[in-house]
Amino acid sequence: MTTMSATFLSDPAERLRASVVGIANGRRGRRAAGGAAIAWSGDLFVTSAHVVTTSHATIVTPDGRAVPGEVVRRDAERDIAVVRAAGTGVPAAVAGDPYALRSGSLVFAVGHPFGVRDAVSVGVLQAVSPLPRGYGLNENGSFVWLQADVRLAPGNSGGPVGDAQGRVIGVAAMVVSGMALAVPMPDVERFLSGLT
Amino acid sequence: MTDDRTTLAMLSEQLADAVATAGAALVAVHARPRLPSTGVHWKDGVVVTTEGTIRREDDIEVTLPDGRHIPATLAGRDRGTDLAVLRIASGSLPVATLGDPATLRPGHLVLALARLDEGGPRAAFGAVSATGGKWRCWKGGEIDRWLQSDLEIYPGFGGGPLVDAAGRIHGVNSGGLSRALATTIPVSTVNRVMAQLLERGYVARGWIGAAMQPVQLDPTSRQRLKRDGGLLLLSVEPDAPASRAGLLIGDVIVAIDGHSLDGFDQLLDLLGGDVVGKTLRLELVRAGQPVSVDVVIAERPRRAR
Repeated sequence: MTTMSATFLSDPAERLRASVVGIANGRRGRRAAGGAAIAWSGDLFVTSAHVVTTSHATIVTPDGRAVPGEVVRRDAERDIAVVRAAGTGVPAAVAGDPYALRSGSLVFAVGHPFGVRDAVSVGVLQAVSPLPRGYGLNENGSFVWLQADVRLAPGNSGGPVGDAQGRVIGVAAMVVSGMALAVPMPDVERFLSGLT
Repeated sequence: MTDDRTTLAMLSEQLADAVATAGAALVAVHARPRLPSTGVHWKDGVVVTTEGTIRREDDIEVTLPDGRHIPATLAGRDRGTDLAVLRIASGSLPVATLGDPATLRPGHLVLALARLDEGGPRAAFGAVSATGGKWRCWKGGEIDRWLQSDLEIYPGFGGGPLVDAAGRIHGVNSGGLSRALATTIPVSTVNRVMAQLLERGYVARGWIGAAMQPVQLDPTSRQRLKRDGGLLLLSVEPDAPASRAGLLIGDVIVAIDGHSLDGFDQLLDLLGGDVVGKTLRLELVRAGQPVSVDVVIAERPRRAR
């Protein structure tokens, strides 16, 4: 029998959480943080396009500071956006490859579901592919999505879905038929190209 | 923390291995519009899925793990246990490795698997929540074991297997029987129903041919018979076991073969067993008087679809 320490799940979750910030639309400040964002290199933060709908955003750091930022790239259809905010001091996330994982591999999500800061949920990967026939989402269904059996709620948007090593493999976007959808990391990196 | 990290990576790999192992015996079943369901290749040439996901009985196809579509024919369906059985060409894919659901305890890690398309198997992850003995589900069938898990039965996951961390299949998950928790139809129930469906295309159940309602007995009968209640006959179908035995509307059945009846459960348990063709003694209260009547149990007529 294998004995596992009671904290063994917390290691990758801690690695993910270190790079997650709150983000609010516009210049409204820390109390209005509506979603999550992932710290990237070069003062950049990745989030969902539906979280930042204007040209300005406010980054809320883990120690509670509100740092003004600017939306430098945004794709509403793919639901991904990049915000630049200097001086947050938040360490950059490590990117992982969802295509290297098989169905059933453990995944973690970190976000602020219903306003709970940096909450962790755990589940497994289902697929990285277009949505199966019969699932909703007509207009965006042909995109390749990271699909996972992991609990997401409002406030998880823009936050990371990570692997068992705590590497970011996708950016949480939405829930369809109960299933968590995230933009796969390779698509995110393509979207970031030229900025970093 | 290195040990923990290794343990976690190993757990992740083991779960993915379990999905790959069990997933090799799964097909996508195309027997309804839009959304396929999942089928388990239970034994060579035989696929088990849930009855509720079969919306058409002809032109059924399954998608194999290698992406090929092949035809399947419906061998039979049983609404009572929510199981359906399909025949496919022999040797089409590996046969499922079955586990023993009695070894599963609350807290064991389990997966619900599905195959929805030409892509790989899909998985949902959770733990066994509750186990127990046999029970009768709301569709009327008897399920040999209570087996519920904290798993999301996503669209198309119905008919897919409950899989343990070693990749063994412990039963078929039913979307129709699941509520807050996922309900699994265990291996023994699948084996029992599958055998009947392959043999005759349906599950034979006993039938009396009368509509009944539970009632309390009048005080005199209660005292005399030492019984509290029974089943009041509301209607008797012509040319049915009840009418042939001379049962009348207004009769109250208080016992069958010496077993008290104060609700439907005992009657359904009795008729669900191997009773077709057997003679059962009914104890009645008729016009206030105790009467005994012998009834030859027939097979429940199959509902026209």
